[in-house]
Amino acid sequence: MSPTEPEELRKLGDRLDAAEERVKPRNRQAPQSSAGIAFRFSTELVSALVVGGAFGWGIDWAADRWSPIHTRPVGLILFFVLGAAAGILNVVRAAREINAEMARNGAERGD
Amino acid sequence: MAINPMEQFAVTPLTSHPVLTIAGHAIYFTNQALWMFIVVGVITLFMAVAVSKRSIVPTRMQSMAEISYEFVANMIGGAAGEDGLLFFPFIFTLFLFVLFSNFLGLLPGSFTVTSQIAVTLALALFVILIVIVTGFIKHGIGFLKLFVPKAPIPLLVLLVPIEFISFLTRPISLSVRLFANMLAGHTLLKVFASFVIGLGSAGLLLKPLAVAPFFLIVAITALELLVAGLQAYVFAILTCIYLNEALHLHDHH
Repeated sequence: MSPTEPEELRKLGDRLDAAEERVKPRNRQAPQSSAGIAFRFSTELVSALVVGGAFGWGIDWAADRWSPIHTRPVGLILFFVLGAAAGILNVVRAAREINAEMARNGAERGD
Repeated sequence: MAINPMEQFAVTPLTSHPVLTIAGHAIYFTNQALWMFIVVGVITLFMAVAVSKRSIVPTRMQSMAEISYEFVANMIGGAAGEDGLLFFPFIFTLFLFVLFSNFLGLLPGSFTVTSQIAVTLALALFVILIVIVTGFIKHGIGFLKLFVPKAPIPLLVLLVPIEFISFLTRPISLSVRLFANMLAGHTLLKVFASFVIGLGSAGLLLKPLAVAPFFLIVAITALELLVAGLQAYVFAILTCIYLNEALHLHDHH
């Protein structure tokens, strides 16, 4: 009986290793899917444009209303461009965050 | 039979009389409010049942509660550091609320609370408010350094407004992401469901084709389960990342 027991244990160990291998790749993909990343980038970019434009438009509106200087298209144009820059900054930051997260999750993977 | 895929998102009052009136606006008890209560009720029930026994060898319910606890604790520790754990109750509540709203919304005939921009925007604005308050408490007026990156002075004229807009973007992107994912997924489900009914009630030759969208619905429902969990995770981890910035300012670079 003693020669079979270590043999069986080793087999069990091999099977456990195989099971772990099968689970591993799924584990590192779980936190972010490609579609999720794409969606994240697009919302970051578009929302910065919207916020920038709305902010500039609001400044123009306030200037029209309460100040003698009428800035009307200038604020919108200026802040729309700044919003575009902020959007790109957001996307770069998001990419950096996702990279860091992937490095954390996939530290032990081979490739 | 015409089927409107957007009908599921309609907010309708359940009471014939306003519950209360604030500054001339009548407030009704709507199906949205009812489902928020259901979500909170289900979470409370789940947690209460899960921790009622508190055995060393956990039951299934208890280990589900323990796994979600450890998951959120690890997420905060990883993204916001040890002092971020001060916000554990807030982030755990936020995560469970979004997660259960997303999951319960997948039940046929239910209402998805997180498919309303009013709800997600309110959650996101609350998160940003907490970030701002934390930042000012921790760093005083120095919190405004968040808007001043390390750069030559002439460039700051350009960079400070960009950083400011980037900060203002956060509640918008945080809320739009969750809301749009839920809205798109649930609309897609209903559109394919209407294909099944449409083809099924069509001529004899078209009838068998109704099987195809039916199997697609099964597949999309599985995908929606993944999206529901993923979006709750994304909402919570971004909250952690923003809190991390408020707690540690530029340390993370």
